[in-house]
Amino acid sequence: MRKSKTVRLVLLGGTSLALGACDDTPPSDAKFFANLQECTAHYSEDKCQTMIKKADEEHVANAPKYSRKEECEAEFGIGHCETRGEGSGSFFMPMMMGYMLGNMMGGGWYGPVYRGRDNAAFTTTAGGSTYNVGSFNGSGRGAAFSSSGAITQVARGGFGASSRSYSSSSGS
Amino acid sequence: MKRIATTPRPDWRAHVERDLGFAFHTIDGAPYWDETACYEFTAAEVDALEDATGELEQMCLALVERAVKSGGETYTRLRIPEIAWPAIEGSWNHAHKNLYGRFDLRYDGASPPKLYEYNADTPTALFEASVVQWDWLEAMWPERDQFNSIHERLIEAWKFFELGRTRLYFAAVKGHAEDAGTVDYLRDTAMQAGLETARIDMEDIGWDGSRFLDLDSRPIEALFKLYPWEWILAEEFGAHLLSGAARVIEPAWKMVLSNKASLALLWEMAPGHPNLLPAALDPAALGGAAVRKPIFGREGANVAVLDASRITAETGGAYGAEGFVYQAHAPLPSFDGNFPVIGSWVVASAPAGMGIREDSTAITRDTSRFVPHYFV
Repeated sequence: MRKSKTVRLVLLGGTSLALGACDDTPPSDAKFFANLQECTAHYSEDKCQTMIKKADEEHVANAPKYSRKEECEAEFGIGHCETRGEGSGSFFMPMMMGYMLGNMMGGGWYGPVYRGRDNAAFTTTAGGSTYNVGSFNGSGRGAAFSSSGAITQVARGGFGASSRSYSSSSGS
Repeated sequence: MKRIATTPRPDWRAHVERDLGFAFHTIDGAPYWDETACYEFTAAEVDALEDATGELEQMCLALVERAVKSGGETYTRLRIPEIAWPAIEGSWNHAHKNLYGRFDLRYDGASPPKLYEYNADTPTALFEASVVQWDWLEAMWPERDQFNSIHERLIEAWKFFELGRTRLYFAAVKGHAEDAGTVDYLRDTAMQAGLETARIDMEDIGWDGSRFLDLDSRPIEALFKLYPWEWILAEEFGAHLLSGAARVIEPAWKMVLSNKASLALLWEMAPGHPNLLPAALDPAALGGAAVRKPIFGREGANVAVLDASRITAETGGAYGAEGFVYQAHAPLPSFDGNFPVIGSWVVASAPAGMGIREDSTAITRDTSRFVPHYFV
């Protein structure tokens, strides 16, 4: 036979698959917010609360935990760790400095932001990736954030002009 | 090769819409998918078409190799602007894989198949050939065979693109059902091959100064674009795509072939080949009646039939600014007043199947009907 044995469609037709795995790349509009108040200056309180809660949960669940303060500071720098838990159950975690939030008009993207050695600001994602997003100036939780500027504005509409001028299908 | 009148399945519209997701069976109120007739071939005829397709593809690949070796002179004859040359050579020298193409052939069941043109960059009428006519034959005569393993070959072909977990974006222009249907179908096959995929319209692709981005600002690192390279070259973001900011399918080297001037270069490379029609950039080089085609035309626009330099038939359109190629006039065969052109598919450069489009005039346009086939 020179015809296909079976022709199954997963996207078209009757049945669809659940699409793709979760992607955790920071969207280019992601910005740093130190707290809920800074977020609500730009976005709705509902959306801010939802995303900040997710980032807090991500922090508690996935940030590295150390039994000794020195171990944590060796990784994140002197004064950049804090205690969690009590008594024999206590441990050290990097101090959360704020939130990277993006795509807030769409599905939303979040990541907790930490201060590392040399005051580097970075965020980690649910997928386990780490992204440098800027740096902190000053000490303690109130240190000012400055963006690395790596995430720039996006232009659109750079494709499509020919299609309009020919008022034609692109196919042939 | 015979044209056979058939009775349409009574519920075919509802069936193809519901079960296949085939949304463009009727275009502007006129039938596009047409199962009131079909073509019957013999196995020997299918062999002839398959062999010709394989040979034409090999000749085309040889032509790209020659173009890349000879450089500027050939690109200039193909009217390919200089900005595109490094991308053509880079993609060819790095052996960037191609997915598919469609040879439009003249065939009457008797004389050898002849190449009218090669749609190497943005061929459509794929879903109809791969899925809808297969489904039609399963319903009508499941015991019969068809020259059509396009679906299986597409799924297989995706596995060799080595995209890993890089998400492949499928892009078409906004608001065109047939183009959307084609990329949605290709995406379907890519998903079945295990690729990460997403869909975007060409107009929505973003650029942040160093990367292409989707509407959620995620980077686009691999792009299947149902959008002609020669259009991309003329547009604002074209240079970014040429610079390698994203992996592109079809690769840039397809520009050598998606260009009808390549018909003249093929004839120069293999004059007298039984599957080629004489073609030239200078009409004086061809004796007798010729067809004038715009080098970057699509969908049969701006095609003219010339007899001793006098235009005897012509279609309208907006193409032709880059010049024309002339091809010896080989009229389509007539089957009861219908003029079929064979669309013979290659997937990963191997013959994969065919679809037939039929018109009631001798120049196949975007209004022609898709008619299924089988062979015995």
